[in-house]
Amino acid sequence: MSTRVPRFNKTSLYDTTPLPDDIPKVKEIGASSAPLMSAAFFIGARCKAYNDDYMQCKTESNGRGELECMKEGRKVTRCAASVLEDINKNCLEEFKKHWDCLENNNQQLWHCRAQERPFNKCVFDKLNLEKTIPGTPENVTPVHLRKYQKFS
Amino acid sequence: MPQDMPPVGGYDAVQYKRNLPVRGFRPSVYLLGMGVIMTYGFWMYGKGVREKNELGREKQWSRIHLIPLLQAEEDRDQVRRMLADKQREKELLGANLKVYHNDRFVRPTYVATPENVTK
Repeated sequence: MSTRVPRFNKTSLYDTTPLPDDIPKVKEIGASSAPLMSAAFFIGARCKAYNDDYMQCKTESNGRGELECMKEGRKVTRCAASVLEDINKNCLEEFKKHWDCLENNNQQLWHCRAQERPFNKCVFDKLNLEKTIPGTPENVTPVHLRKYQKFS
Repeated sequence: MPQDMPPVGGYDAVQYKRNLPVRGFRPSVYLLGMGVIMTYGFWMYGKGVREKNELGREKQWSRIHLIPLLQAEEDRDQVRRMLADKQREKELLGANLKVYHNDRFVRPTYVATPENVTK
């Protein structure tokens, strides 16, 4: 991954040429930041293997990851898209309430626990995806399950 | 001349002590009260810090779960642009020049912009 800042980026340079036909097409995720953040832990729960694969491929391909990890990248995108599609199909109302709240509250998750709880419950009941925060100490309640928070 | 003598029975006691009422509690009570308030404050602050750490962890992981997705999209876009660029170069020059000595993917620093806006 080159870290040089490009002088022109896609905000000022449009290039509409599609990828060549021999590279399989994948529909981009097409969601904005708030819905993605709202669904992030469920994406992580279902797509962890694909995500790890992709990141490992990028690490191991010595700067050619952009070209060599396209297959893994497509898997990552398809998996995330499948999560969003399932959420939209099963829990659209709760999902929408939650990301609306995130959008109105500076995308801070602790503002939106009231909307998050029914959303998490719905996703767990229907899709069997659970939100877990890795690295939480074992002797404390995870922050999204607390009844009372100092913040908010 | 007769000398002045103390009155019979002696003088009244001279009042040299101030007779002000002592207000409030003993100082040690105030010290204790300050200690209690400060302890409570620091206790609550500590709880807030712990919670803030957990909130930070939650936020970081929400991002970590999304990074591969966002990176994959960006990489695809970069590869698409690079391939389109190479195609254009081939059409114009007839061959692709190798600019760098190795074959790493290099994000372009300079891009030839078309004269007319293409979109």
